[in-house]
Amino acid sequence: MNRADNVIDVQGVTKTYASGALQVEALRGLTFTIARGEYVAIMGPSGSGKSTLMNVLGCLDRATTGTYKLDGIDVSQLDDNQLAEIRLKKLGFVFQGFNLLARTDALRNVALPLFYAGMPGKERERLALERLTEVGIGDRARHKPTELSGGEQQRVAIARALVNDPAVLLADEPTGNLDSKTSGEILALFDGLSSGGRTVIVVTHDEGVASRARRILRMLDGVIISDTPT
Amino acid sequence: MLAYFIEAARVLLANRTRSILTIIGLVVGVATIVSVQVAAQGMAGAVSGIFKGTNANTFFVFPKSTQGNVVRAALKLSDLALVQERVPGVVSVIPFSRRQTVVDAGHQRVRLRFGGESDKRFSTSPLAAGRTLNADDIATAAAVCVISDNAYTRLFPGASSPQDVVGSSIYVGSKRYVIAGVLGKTKIDTAALGFDVSNDVAIPYTTFYNTYQRGSSFFGISVLAAQGADLKSLETQTQALLTQVHGAQYQYFDFGFFAKTINGFFSIVGLIVGAVGAISLVVAGIGIMNIMLVSVTERTREIGVRKAIGARSSQVLLQFFIESLLLSAFGCLTGMLIGVGLGVIVNKGFIAKISGVTGGIPWLEVIAIAVGFATLVTLVFGTYPAYRAAKLDPIEALRYE
Ligand SMILES: Nc1ncnc2c1ncn2[C@@H]1O[C@H](COP(=O)(O)OP(=O)(O)O)[C@@H](O)[C@H]1O
Ligand SMILES: [Mg+2]
Repeated sequence: MNRADNVIDVQGVTKTYASGALQVEALRGLTFTIARGEYVAIMGPSGSGKSTLMNVLGCLDRATTGTYKLDGIDVSQLDDNQLAEIRLKKLGFVFQGFNLLARTDALRNVALPLFYAGMPGKERERLALERLTEVGIGDRARHKPTELSGGEQQRVAIARALVNDPAVLLADEPTGNLDSKTSGEILALFDGLSSGGRTVIVVTHDEGVASRARRILRMLDGVIISDTPT
Repeated sequence: MLAYFIEAARVLLANRTRSILTIIGLVVGVATIVSVQVAAQGMAGAVSGIFKGTNANTFFVFPKSTQGNVVRAALKLSDLALVQERVPGVVSVIPFSRRQTVVDAGHQRVRLRFGGESDKRFSTSPLAAGRTLNADDIATAAAVCVISDNAYTRLFPGASSPQDVVGSSIYVGSKRYVIAGVLGKTKIDTAALGFDVSNDVAIPYTTFYNTYQRGSSFFGISVLAAQGADLKSLETQTQALLTQVHGAQYQYFDFGFFAKTINGFFSIVGLIVGAVGAISLVVAGIGIMNIMLVSVTERTREIGVRKAIGARSSQVLLQFFIESLLLSAFGCLTGMLIGVGLGVIVNKGFIAKISGVTGGIPWLEVIAIAVGFATLVTLVFGTYPAYRAAKLDPIEALRYE
């Protein structure tokens, strides 16, 4: 595969946490690429380094050594403000716990990234409503998170993650808080996004969830132990 | 930038109860300071109003009450001419004569301020009808009087105009006085302030002396200085002259002295209330800081989310800073309006009742106080919580339960 097509290019990435005198090597030399449009699941037991990897991929944290290129940009050396800019423009996050702003309706939650991007209010709301409609809850735009079911809240979160048209959608246990029926609906949504050409990376414990992806990266003790298509 | 204000306003409105509780201290503090400011301005207006209504060139001299030989200190008729001759710049000197007395006119019987005056006018009230006392009245100790607007309305409730009562008679006891003139309205009721400068019924001081003061010494003298004269110099000269002649101690005072006393009193009150207000503002500021810190902690996860989706630290800082700013601005504005309201109530209901003058609202000072405190409180107490929010690590913040 041509490297220019790789939206994610990780070369020898390590992450070492220094907790006191103790050094914890959470990532121990990862090298892999993810092509544009891929649907990848990251699996592994607790403590294997999944969250650490997600934080690095999501530009919330920097690798200790190695290089990480996101959409052609070497983000390894960027400062906090530049990383924020990358998160804003290139990444969309979906969390297990939805992480919507309470007391803020669905529309405004979805529009939030656009607010930080400096888009005018009317335009923000128009785009946000468009995204909400795409994920199937355009009619819930004025509802607060507390007035929405778990599945609906996760749809709002997905709409928010997509509102900036990111290069990569990162999801951390997106169905962890949902019942199986709702999980199915959310996974169907991811399937649709993937077949629409969106790059999707999902961290999960659940083999069922992982099986929806086209490729599974399995981690153990900070290294990738297998990289297989489904 | 406007978007940040809107966003901050939304957050504060979403937490309405907490927002209101946060600013109560600020409201009280600013309201206190502002109301005193407004009341002080009202008082200052009243004092300057008194100057307008009376001849500020007047001063009073009387024996000190603390001296041993009261008899020697007593002022006599001869002192009047003495002062007038020997102190240059003195226009007129008359005995200080003032008494509350019953005055009859037809069926009306009213208690009024009654005293002697000269042809030189000590009062600046306008003339409504007739004439003021003239040199002839003084020289001949005529049984004439000039009555105030107050006396006119109370003695002649049926009269249609002041002109009608000129030439008619009033009685003080068995003594009859013909009304020579009627004065117009003065806005200032100086009597209520404790020093009545105007008489309701003024007769020639010579008549007053002959009828009521002869044989007894009088309490003091009223001196009218020439326009533009150095009052202080005249006062000390008069004092020195009387001391030299009588070998006794004298004191003097004028309206400037009253104004100073009143203003001094108010600036002390202002200082005390200002100090109390300042303390309450510090407490209020700490309250705002505390609530904002609580808010930062409560919203740790929210801050994490905001950062994860791409908010820069500076944007988070700005957001929290503006929330503090809006809180304190709203608190100070509310406090300002309440303070102005209270100040106006004090002015209208209290000071104006006494002085007859309603002072204006010192908007410039009042707005400066509100804006100043809002800025100060925000800068001093809003910065730290905003900084705390901004430096949160998004990963940690997202993990926060
Ligand atoms: N902030 C941190 N400080 C120190 N050690 C950490 C930190 N975060 C994670 N670790 C350690 O790094 C390793 C990988 O953790 P993590 O990436 O959370 O694994 P997973 O998400 O797969 O459970 C673990 O041993 C964990 O204890
Ligand atoms: Mg984890």
